Amino acid sequence: MKQASLSKDKIKAVAIRYGFLTLLAGLVLFFSLSAPGFATPFSAVFIFQSVAITGILALGVTATLVVDGFDLSIGSIATSSLMLSAYIMVVLEQNAVVAVIACLAMGAIVGLVNGVLIVYMRVPDLLATLGMMFLLIGLQRIPTEGRSIAQGMTLPGGETATGVFSKSFLALGRHKFDFFIENFIPFSVIIFVVIAVLIWLYFEFTRYGRVMYAIGSNERAAGLAGVPVHKYKIIAYMISGVLASVGGILLAARLGRGDIASGNNLLLDSVAAALIGFAVLGAAKPNAFGTAIGALFVGILLQGMTMMNAPYYTQDFVKGAVLVVALVFTFSLSNRR
Amino acid sequence: MKITRRIFTSMVAGVVLAATGIIGSVSAADMPAPFDKPSEVKIALVRYLSTGDFFQAYLAGVESQAKILGVDLRILDSRQDAALQADMVDQAIALGVDGIIVQHGLTESMQEAVKRAIAAGIKVVAFDVDVENPDVPQIEQSDFMLAKMALDQAIIDNGTTFNAGYVYVPGIAPLDRRDVAWKEVKDANPGIKQLAEFGTLDNPIANSVANQARSVLAANPTITVMFAPYDEFAKGVKIAVDEAGMTSQVKIYSADVSTSDISAMREEGSAWAATAATNPAVVGEVSVRVLAMLLAGEDPGHNVVVPPTLITQTMLNDGDIKNMKELSAKIPAFAHADVAVPAWMPLPKR
Repeated sequence: MKQASLSKDKIKAVAIRYGFLTLLAGLVLFFSLSAPGFATPFSAVFIFQSVAITGILALGVTATLVVDGFDLSIGSIATSSLMLSAYIMVVLEQNAVVAVIACLAMGAIVGLVNGVLIVYMRVPDLLATLGMMFLLIGLQRIPTEGRSIAQGMTLPGGETATGVFSKSFLALGRHKFDFFIENFIPFSVIIFVVIAVLIWLYFEFTRYGRVMYAIGSNERAAGLAGVPVHKYKIIAYMISGVLASVGGILLAARLGRGDIASGNNLLLDSVAAALIGFAVLGAAKPNAFGTAIGALFVGILLQGMTMMNAPYYTQDFVKGAVLVVALVFTFSLSNRR
Repeated sequence: MKITRRIFTSMVAGVVLAATGIIGSVSAADMPAPFDKPSEVKIALVRYLSTGDFFQAYLAGVESQAKILGVDLRILDSRQDAALQADMVDQAIALGVDGIIVQHGLTESMQEAVKRAIAAGIKVVAFDVDVENPDVPQIEQSDFMLAKMALDQAIIDNGTTFNAGYVYVPGIAPLDRRDVAWKEVKDANPGIKQLAEFGTLDNPIANSVANQARSVLAANPTITVMFAPYDEFAKGVKIAVDEAGMTSQVKIYSADVSTSDISAMREEGSAWAATAATNPAVVGEVSVRVLAMLLAGEDPGHNVVVPPTLITQTMLNDGDIKNMKELSAKIPAFAHADVAVPAWMPLPKR
């Protein structure tokens, strides 16, 4: 009798640990058989490229989730960085390096302000970052009076902008490296993978990363153990802000213009990826590896369904269903929480 | 013939009239009432949609036509709040305006508000919102003609037999009207095969559509024509076509135009072959002119359609056109529509 229940527990543990990855493998198999052209190296690269931007944002979401916080402003930080890079190059006629540095600095500053509002002003995280979200959606439109930024655009003053998107900046979103096949792996995919590995190493293997998890599970205990809680929380929001601005830079490099956009879809997709990540390997907590897999999961689903001509609303439906299943895996089947 | 004093006077008068006609500067005295005292004419623009390049340009058109008429223009912007837009019509009535332009909105909320304005003796015109009122001229850019024009060009370029991909999101009024043209063209040409239909309005739209189009191109490598009847869709498709290395194989046909669209169409060997567009600034000007005709007691007709212009990659390259300003300057059909132009109407300078 005892033997039986033990093996039952074991099966459950295995199901929780590998269930989601099995689901992912099954999905890949299904699409490979039913969608012609899905099981090719090019298709794999497409998937990585289509999730690179949301994936990077999702890693930022993960950083704030680790310290038990939340950042609603990442979508608008990304679109602000998109507008800022376009503004710097097209209107101010600066080069790619200036544009990238300015965007990263903007992301860090917004993250710092978010952190200070939450930690020192004691504004609840959802409210502080909600406010920041609206602020940025408005702010990004002020310099151009609501216009999108493109080469040769007419400025509010009536004159024509003479700056251009620099070639090296566009390469961030468009250049492809040779890897067995010529022009194969896009730059943005490499940036995504490198960031994912760095964030994973940081949270799993450095003291600082572990301390952040400690703050997330019990802030007071961590504080009593001598952890500078405030500093770490602010750093988490700064990581989130900087990663969001990286996402915006890649977006600008891919689009080749500054599009006014609220970035709400970016926010929702990346939060979904981070939450799906809870279920990967039965972690039941925010983790970088799970987030990257979560982003890929959504990417594979959308790619496969589009190839099979599924209309856009079924895609939202399926995305939602996956999220619900992942959350059930996390909160109901797993009892480690 | 002996030149009498009477003949001489009339000749002078004729020359003067002709001269004013040529220069085109109509002084206030030449305009019918109430525009003989234009600064006392108050009109209001009640907007539902305002963010984005299209609406910015529309507003610029309204402003320039109002300025050349010399009327007092008030702008009320409800920022996509349907209830507020209806309240703003009442606000305009209270302000004592002579005419109202309703720009977009919902039939359900605007119908009653417009009735109240008409009852108060105010002239109303509506742009892109059907207020279902025989006294209100409806100004439209013809979405059907936009799509038809782009598709006709696609057939000229590619013949009547090709594999097509189509970008469409149902339920969006202008896209639905453009869809009618696509269906007609497909029915009329059985050689045109639609292999895939996709589309999304997740923003940034171009980025989301690019992701979808990548998948579609991978699944259907025989597609040679992409019909993307909204410029954000076309931008996304172009990114995907370039990324998939299919630039020389696929041609993109779209609707609408902007400065960034122009630079995308003009890239070396760009897949974006043609677009059809109505200049939003011209639509804005026409809106004010139609209202002015109503105020002067003339009949502009119930349906006022602003015709679109076809813009091809070749036209842009030949004219070395880089932005919207140059497009207006070099393609006259785009800069001005001969709609609602009675003889007395002053036109904005180009």
